[in-house]
Amino acid sequence: MNVSNLSISEISNLYKNKELKPSEVYEEVFTNASLSESIIHAHLKLFQDEATEASKLSDERYEKGNPLSDIDGIPIAIKDNINLKNHETTCSSKMLSNYVSPYDATVIKKLRNNGVIFTGKTNLDEFAMGSSTENSAFGPTKNPWNPEHVPGGSSGGSAAVVSVGSAVASLGSDTGGSIRQPASFCGVVGFKPTYGTVSRYGLVAFASSLDQIGPITNSVEDAKILYNSIKGHDPLDATSIKESLVEIPTDKNAKVGVVKELMEEGISDESRKEVEKTIKLLKENGNKVVEVSLPLTKMALSIYYLIAPAECSANLSRFDGVRYGIREAGSTSYEMMENTRAEGFGEEVKKRILLGTYALSAGYYDAYYGQALKARSAITKDFENIFKEVDYLISPTTPTPAFKFGEKTENPLEMYMSDLCTIPANLAGIPAISIPTGLSKQDMPLSIQLMSPARTDSSLLEFSESIEKLLSFNQRTSLLEDMK
Amino acid sequence: MNMVPTIGIETHVELNTNSKMFCNCAVVETENPNESLCPTCLGLPGALPVPNLKAIESITMLALSANCSITKNGMFHRKNYFYPDLPKNYQISQFDLPVGVNGSLEIILNETKETVEIERVHMEEDTGKSVHKGSGRIDSATSTLLDFNRSGVPLVEIVTKPVIKSSKEAVSYIEELRQLVIDLKISEGKLEKGNLRFDANISVAKESDNELGVKVEIKNMNSLRSLEKAIDYEIKRQTKLIESNEVIIQETRHWDEDKEVTSSMRSKEGSADYRYFSDPDLPNMILTDEFIDNIKKTIPTLPSQKRDKLSETGLSNSESNYLSKSEEWIYNLFLETQKLTNDTKSTFNLITGELQGQLRKAGMEKLPEWLTSEKLSEIIKMINENKISFTSGKEILTNLIQNEMSPSKYAEDNNLIQDNDSDEIAKIVKNVIDSNKEVVERVKDGEEKLVGFLVGQIIKSSKGNINPSIAKDLLLKEL
Ligand SMILES: [Zn+2]
Repeated sequence: MNVSNLSISEISNLYKNKELKPSEVYEEVFTNASLSESIIHAHLKLFQDEATEASKLSDERYEKGNPLSDIDGIPIAIKDNINLKNHETTCSSKMLSNYVSPYDATVIKKLRNNGVIFTGKTNLDEFAMGSSTENSAFGPTKNPWNPEHVPGGSSGGSAAVVSVGSAVASLGSDTGGSIRQPASFCGVVGFKPTYGTVSRYGLVAFASSLDQIGPITNSVEDAKILYNSIKGHDPLDATSIKESLVEIPTDKNAKVGVVKELMEEGISDESRKEVEKTIKLLKENGNKVVEVSLPLTKMALSIYYLIAPAECSANLSRFDGVRYGIREAGSTSYEMMENTRAEGFGEEVKKRILLGTYALSAGYYDAYYGQALKARSAITKDFENIFKEVDYLISPTTPTPAFKFGEKTENPLEMYMSDLCTIPANLAGIPAISIPTGLSKQDMPLSIQLMSPARTDSSLLEFSESIEKLLSFNQRTSLLEDMK
Repeated sequence: MNMVPTIGIETHVELNTNSKMFCNCAVVETENPNESLCPTCLGLPGALPVPNLKAIESITMLALSANCSITKNGMFHRKNYFYPDLPKNYQISQFDLPVGVNGSLEIILNETKETVEIERVHMEEDTGKSVHKGSGRIDSATSTLLDFNRSGVPLVEIVTKPVIKSSKEAVSYIEELRQLVIDLKISEGKLEKGNLRFDANISVAKESDNELGVKVEIKNMNSLRSLEKAIDYEIKRQTKLIESNEVIIQETRHWDEDKEVTSSMRSKEGSADYRYFSDPDLPNMILTDEFIDNIKKTIPTLPSQKRDKLSETGLSNSESNYLSKSEEWIYNLFLETQKLTNDTKSTFNLITGELQGQLRKAGMEKLPEWLTSEKLSEIIKMINENKISFTSGKEILTNLIQNEMSPSKYAEDNNLIQDNDSDEIAKIVKNVIDSNKEVVERVKDGEEKLVGFLVGQIIKSSKGNINPSIAKDLLLKEL
């Protein structure tokens, strides 16, 4: 049986009907991982022994007819900036290369209680800062569709493992597109929930006001299942929201706006055509589609590169060699801290810490960080207003399909541009999803992005499911078949 | 040249909440390091802060009691600086939207009521503790041990405006603040435990200058005595510099407890830029009218209100101040007893002098339950009516502390009732004059202090049953 082509609900039903066992599925995804890792390097760690044992325990539960949940026995990979008790949480940084977490993140606790099998920790750009995993201190992850191409980032590892079938689904984190952009590059579904609907407790913070954990899956349905099992108010996260979700139309009455500014310059023809293709399908389906303008989205990138570095400059201060992580000797405490940070952080991380420190400095705060905060609330207002006219917004997820290694490392601005379409949703705190739509001329995956008002996550997922059906794109990478 | 010192004081008050400010760890009192820790107060990657509601209630109560305006839509900021015992290398604090602003505290300085204006009252978390080995300072230590038990303990910082004019006033202000947090039951208020820690900003200027001088911050004063000495030292030091036309450097100075001098800390803090920004992990601190009203209802009688009540009995400001800073039961005992005796002076003296002294000697912290205001007033009345001597009153009190009994019955049973029969006393007076002729002559020659000796002799021969003032009157008449 080829598990890679099965959805979570299909697997779950086979488990319940005793036609398939969790240990068999785990064995298959582990085989896929062992085969693919040498080429794509998507995992930083595979939990073979622990996962095998967990799968057998799950076998027993199904045997007795009392699984813990509908996702009991589903093998899931975790981005290595989410804490899993007694395992390393490295954030792909030399700084935390020896750090073992003493606690579970809230999302991990929830999945654990649901009987999920954790397959391992996946690669990322150091501290989730990057768009290609090229910033990982432990080497980049390759795109399973073509290893000469990047898998996107920062959740490149999490997207690649789902794409190649070495996990049924994975968790990533999204600060400016870090779930959606790699999902788009790897031809899988990536969902960034409304800020505050999924607890951040245990997610190593990059930019606290933007970070959000979300699922990367083979299908929208899978994303929905995983989202439903990790969402909910968490008393350990003061920014997690108590309000319940709200519903908006998901059928042909749903009105869709095309964001004009995200269809213009900077967007490749290939990416734009995928949106146009989807619009055509939606119109045929009876949905009303109109062009809308969000002029401030043009400023989103600039706002993001003030707010995210500012927050990260403080969030990453705790890595000083005093209590955990690596330590570089120095003749005084301060020298030790300086040496540790000089040695432990990579170039991109240092660059952003400096940028953020500068933006918050006396005399510059008002002009940079203060201004960015104002612009951010203006963007949020713009979204609120536009959502009075339409239910959903559509755009490309990324300006181009996955680029090649080294293509953008020399030009950071161009690299930053790859998050052009995804950043606005983080600034506004709204949910957004990337759905694969087809392949480029170079046979690399293409996608569209859908956004909706805050706390309409369930509706967005439902509407996305119907679009997924309209698109009926379900091609997979042939990497493993080619190898076998 | 007249010099004017100006002082502002920043006080950190450690709250007495059960748990820390942003996590569920218990606030512990232990010598064992690193016992009460979790991912949050240890700054582990991924851990998040959740505000302690009890602490926010406490600071709101303090801010209201210090007559502050309450910021209804406040927030927490991150104060960024690196220090090994600061786990996140930023401290969660408040910046431009503190819980309380523009308040004031009434203090008693000598016999005068003064007002110390409060600039702000804000909430923050405490740091861990560093123990530097090899030397007391981080820069020259051979090794440093870290204890994070204190990390994350809720602190309230109270900042005065630069309005304090002397070390005495500064001490009086801290005493008032200390009493306030004790009465509000939001802190243990123990200086020796570091529950209250203070820094002073001191500047000296010529009176003619009409503006403040260069500000110098003094740290490391951990008692009222060192606060007073450090301020006096610093005022003298700055005055001398101004008088000799030397420059005062804006800096932070360290109070050396042993040498009793301040010395420059050469710290980097002079140029510190804390890069404050609102903490994205914490939502805005919304204090609703309902919340504030509920807190107002729980505020007990404040020290200043106690003083007003005490003053009504005729106590002086400093006496009222003394009782407002005594324990609750002493304050209540005074008011109840005074009501019964209607004699403010005697009641005050007996309670604050004799009673407190005897209790202290007996090692007792509280009154035995039978020692009521009624019993106390009985003793005071007997003394006032000259039925017993003050010495006998003391004796009754000593026994009353140990055993339940009736003061008047005790006085009778033990022959303490004074002989107020003037004929009887006159006889004794005459006897004393006759047998001390030499002394009497010297008194007549003007050696008035020997009167006391003669009075003593009279009381002695009466076995203590003569009221000394009556004896003295009669003696002087005879002479
Ligand atoms: Zn804690």
